[in-house]
Amino acid sequence: MSKLFFREAIARAIAEEMVRDPRVILLGQDIAAHGGSYAETRGLFERFGPSRVRNTPVAEAVTVGLAAGAAAAGLRPLAFITYIDFLMLGLDPLVNYAAKLRFKSAGQLTAPMVVKATAGAKGQGPTHAQALDSWLMNVPGLTVVAPSTAGDAYGLLKTAIRSPGPVVYIDHKRLFPLGGEVPDSEQLIPLGSAAVRREGRHITIVAHSYMSVVALEASKQLAVAGIEADVIDLRSLWPIDWETLANSVRRTGNALFVEEGQTVCGVGAELAFGLQERVPGLRVARLGARRVPISASPVLESDAIPNAQRIVQSARRLLGQVAA
Amino acid sequence: MISLKHRSETAFRLPGGLQSTLENRTFFKPSLIYVNRLTNTPLQAGGIVATDRLRRLRAMLLLRSFESALLRQPKPGFQLLSRGEEAIAVGICTALERTDPLLCSGRSIGMALARGVPAGGLLAELAGKDGGPNKGRAGRAHVSMPSVGLFGAHGVVGGNISVAAGVALAQQQLGTHAVTCCVFGDGACGAGSLHETLNVAALWQLPLLLICDNNGFAVSTSVRQGIAAPSLTDLATPFGVPAAAVDGTDVDAVVSATVDAAAAIRAGYGPRFLEMRCVRMGSHSTLTREERLAADVERFIESDPLLIYERRLRDDGVLDDERWVRIQAEVNEDIAEAEKFVEAASWPDPEAAMLDV
Repeated sequence: MSKLFFREAIARAIAEEMVRDPRVILLGQDIAAHGGSYAETRGLFERFGPSRVRNTPVAEAVTVGLAAGAAAAGLRPLAFITYIDFLMLGLDPLVNYAAKLRFKSAGQLTAPMVVKATAGAKGQGPTHAQALDSWLMNVPGLTVVAPSTAGDAYGLLKTAIRSPGPVVYIDHKRLFPLGGEVPDSEQLIPLGSAAVRREGRHITIVAHSYMSVVALEASKQLAVAGIEADVIDLRSLWPIDWETLANSVRRTGNALFVEEGQTVCGVGAELAFGLQERVPGLRVARLGARRVPISASPVLESDAIPNAQRIVQSARRLLGQVAA
Repeated sequence: MISLKHRSETAFRLPGGLQSTLENRTFFKPSLIYVNRLTNTPLQAGGIVATDRLRRLRAMLLLRSFESALLRQPKPGFQLLSRGEEAIAVGICTALERTDPLLCSGRSIGMALARGVPAGGLLAELAGKDGGPNKGRAGRAHVSMPSVGLFGAHGVVGGNISVAAGVALAQQQLGTHAVTCCVFGDGACGAGSLHETLNVAALWQLPLLLICDNNGFAVSTSVRQGIAAPSLTDLATPFGVPAAAVDGTDVDAVVSATVDAAAAIRAGYGPRFLEMRCVRMGSHSTLTREERLAADVERFIESDPLLIYERRLRDDGVLDDERWVRIQAEVNEDIAEAEKFVEAASWPDPEAAMLDV
C-alpha cells in the first residue's frame, strides 16, 4: 500500500491503462501540459504525447461527441468534464448516442468510453457546484460510478476504462486534496459493488462520493451517543449493489440515505424504494440538498448541503430519539 | 437543376403578399458543376463508363421504388423519404470506399439502400421487425450496418456530426486511411454541433467529410429563415475548411465532388465541407402536412434527379427504351422480393432486446 492523493491515484490509474492499451486516449480542457484542472493528469501529456492526450476547446458537446464516436470506432476514450454542470452541454452524444448504441445497433456497435466529471459544492457558485448523479442513473445503458477514496478512484477508473461502457465517473472537488491508501499492485474494483466503511447494528447510512466522508464523520458522533451505524459507500450508482445494501438493512432495520444533490427523484428516493421492495418494514429517511441553487457565499453553500450535524439529527430522528 | 447561386436569389413577392415557399429558386442548368472554393477552379468528373452510369440510374430508381413500396405497406410509420434527394445518396455512396464509415441523418432510407443495406432487411427494419440489420430496434432514424459501411443514421438533428468527428479521430489514430463521411440536413447547419465540430476537425485535421444535404427546408423553415449565412459553404470557410457547393440533383456531379473531396482528405489535407443542393419533393415526413405552394411543388419535377439522369443518359445514347424497361423490371423484382421478406419476418423478442442495453 502507498499513500496517494486522490488526484495521484487517478493519474496512476490512467497511466497504467494507457500503457496497457494503446487505444486509450484522453480528451478534455486543460489536461495536456497544464496537467488537468485538479492536477489529476499531471505528467500524462509528457509521457504519452499530444496525439493521446488532447486538449479540447471549451466545447463539451463536441468533446463528448468525439469520445462517443471514437469509442464506437475502436478507441477507448476518456473525456474530462471539468465541472459536471457542463456535462449538460454534452448530454446529447452521451445519452442519445452512446448510451443507446449497443441496443439500437443490436450489439454491432458499442461505446467503450468514460466521461470523467467533477461534481460538488466548493465555493464556486450555482453552475460549478451541482450533483447531478441521479439524472444519469435514470438513463438505460449508462453506468455511473462515484468513488470517495483514493483507492476506489484508482480501482474504479481502471475498471471503467476497460468496461464496454459508456461509464460516467464522478469525482468531487473536495476529494482531490485528500489522501488514501492505494494498493501497490494492480487492483480493479468491479462495477456495481458497494463498500461497507463501518459496521454498526442500529442504522444503515448510505452515501456516495464526498458525502461518504461526511457520513463517516457523522457516524463517529453517533457512536459517542451510543448509536452504531453501518456506513455504506455506494461507489457505483448504476448498477446498484442491492445485495450489500439489503444485507445491511436487514440487520439494522433503519436506513438513512445521504446525498449532496437534490432529494426529488434523487439517489435516496430510488434506493429507499428499491430496498423497501426487498426488505418489507424497513424504516427509511433521506437527506440531501435543500431545494435551492448552490451559492458562491460560503454561508449559503454550507446551509444548502448536508453536513455531519444534519446527518446525526436525521439518524436520531429516524431512530425516534428526537421529535420529528 | 438547382441554381448554385444563393444570395442573388431575392425573395419575390406573390400577389396578396404571399412569399413563394421556394424563395424564387431558379431551375436552370448550371454551367459549372463543382467549384473548388480555394482555387476557384472547376473540377470535372473524369470519363465515366456507360455501365457505371447505368448503375447509378438503377440505384436511384431502386431508392424511388423502394419508398413507393414502403408507402404500400400496411403501416408505413413515421418515415422521412428521399424523393428528390436520390442523387446525393447514390452519388456519395458511389464515391466512398467500402471501408469509409458513413454516418447520416434520420433521412436515411436512401443512404442505407445506396450503401448496400439489403432492401428486404431495410424494409423489415423500418417496420420494426426482427429481420432488419438492427433487429427492428433502430428503425429509420438509427439504422446501421457497419459491415457494409453504414456506420449509422442518427435521429437527433446535428447529433451525428460530433460523433462522426470521433469516428474520424479513431481512423486518424488507428492509421486506417479511411475517410469518415457525415451527411446531415440544412436544418443541422443551425446546430452548435456543426460549428464545434468544424473547429475541432480543422484544429486536428481530421479525415472528415461533412456533407450538407440541403433540401431547402428544415420541416417548414427555409434555409433563408433558419441560417443567417448567405451560403451554407460560408459556415466552413472561417475555420479554414475548404467548402464547395454541388448540384445535388446531378448524380455525376455528386460523385465527382465526393471523389475529389475524399481524395484530398485521404491524402492528409484535413476535413472538407460540401453543400449539396436539391429539392425535397415530398413533405418533411409521411406524417407532416405539405405547406409549400402547389405551384412550387408542381415545379419540383424540373429538379427530379431520376428524371434528369434518365434524360441525360438517353441524350448521351447510353439508355434506350429496351434497356430502361429491363432496368425497371429488375428493380421491381428486387422490390417484390423485399416485400416478401418483410412479410415473412418475425417480430422482435422483447427479452432478447434487453440483453443489449
